[in-house]
Amino acid sequence: MKALLVVTLLAGTAHARDWQGLLDRIQGGSTLHYELTGLSDIDDMATGPDQLVLAGARLHGFISTSRRWAFQGGIDLALGATIQRGGFAYDVALLPVGFVLRLGATSFVGVAGGIGALGATPTADDAMTLPLEAALELGSGVRVLGRARYSYLAFSGTGGASDAILEGMLGLRIGHHYEDFGFPSGNGYFVAASYREQAGERMVGLTIGYSIDLATPRHSRRDAE
Amino acid sequence: MRVALLVLGLGLAGCAIGKRSLAMPDNDQTTVALLTGTLGHPLDGIARHPWFAVRRAGEHEWHVYEVGGGGTEEDPFRHHSPYGNPMLHKVWRGAAGERAARCIESVAGGVRDRIDRDYIFYPGPNSNTFGDVVLRRCKLSASLPATSVGKDWRGIIGAGVTSERTGLQVETPLVGVKLGLKEGVEVHLMGLSIGVDVWPPAIILPLGPGRLGFADR
Repeated sequence: MKALLVVTLLAGTAHARDWQGLLDRIQGGSTLHYELTGLSDIDDMATGPDQLVLAGARLHGFISTSRRWAFQGGIDLALGATIQRGGFAYDVALLPVGFVLRLGATSFVGVAGGIGALGATPTADDAMTLPLEAALELGSGVRVLGRARYSYLAFSGTGGASDAILEGMLGLRIGHHYEDFGFPSGNGYFVAASYREQAGERMVGLTIGYSIDLATPRHSRRDAE
Repeated sequence: MRVALLVLGLGLAGCAIGKRSLAMPDNDQTTVALLTGTLGHPLDGIARHPWFAVRRAGEHEWHVYEVGGGGTEEDPFRHHSPYGNPMLHKVWRGAAGERAARCIESVAGGVRDRIDRDYIFYPGPNSNTFGDVVLRRCKLSASLPATSVGKDWRGIIGAGVTSERTGLQVETPLVGVKLGLKEGVEVHLMGLSIGVDVWPPAIILPLGPGRLGFADR
């Protein structure tokens, strides 16, 4: 009985050491964007929205035991309106599956996929989407922000798969970089050019917003040991 | 669309007209003040923390009530470390100050203990939930800014009178809404507030001072 107790305690200690080792190696980061996007069509078509304004937030994070690669996930929420037709518009997505390649203190390029929903009354039917997004954020205080997204319309109110939506954004943040408490971070306002192709209609516009980035210092497995 | 972009652009720059002075009032009357300050970098643009400062008539030091701190201070209006860029939201003086001081001294400890026990940084309950609950329990008719994320935390689902006492709100952690004579319309999405304030007029934004327009009530 004593032997069993000793073995159990030792196993428990080893298990705790494994967990502590794992916790020591975990590193990651996150980004938060508040965005306001205004888009206007460049094709004179009756199908899609003429002008669209969306305001929302994007929260993404990544975590790993590697200093270079990490798993990532995120959530995007945006609400707005189709300006000239006075309709309600929304575009939300949950992107739980993805990975990033970390570059520098808080910079990264990455890809993520998931599920979403969007609609814009009265010009775009409510639809469930399967988005695949590539994103990059490079720099610290001054930071390049970019993303491109392909969203497959898995189901729409008209009853079937019909189309896809392409979106892109490329911008520049003028902000600050911090190293408070040993964590690299940054924040600031940004402006970006935006593109959206929906229901055969191309739209271009401007995104303005505020972004925050925060990460743990990158360290190799050897550093942690 | 250009107008919308301009308005929101100014909002992102964090414009609030007519902010209250941070000069401390005289100590000839009992005074209670509600203030907020920004969190540290990089959250300073999107998150604020509240504290109540209470000073009885004739006293020189202020008694501070908040989550994660408290005690006495000489000037919690301009310096309340580690929080930056303080904003004064409301002052109660004289008889109103006496009533507010008595109530805050009586309820703040219990509310803080409960928040401490269940504390979650985001979406709440947190220090901003403390501020909102004390305002409502003491019927103080004031509002925390939109960047006080957690002020509208009412649990899984909750409804009731707003802290300003001229409106109603229904809240869940995902979505909520506040409607009021002064409060206007405020929509909450995962703790973020967006809306239109009726009095004083302003657009409510989850950034900077929390509003674009005239400073809060």
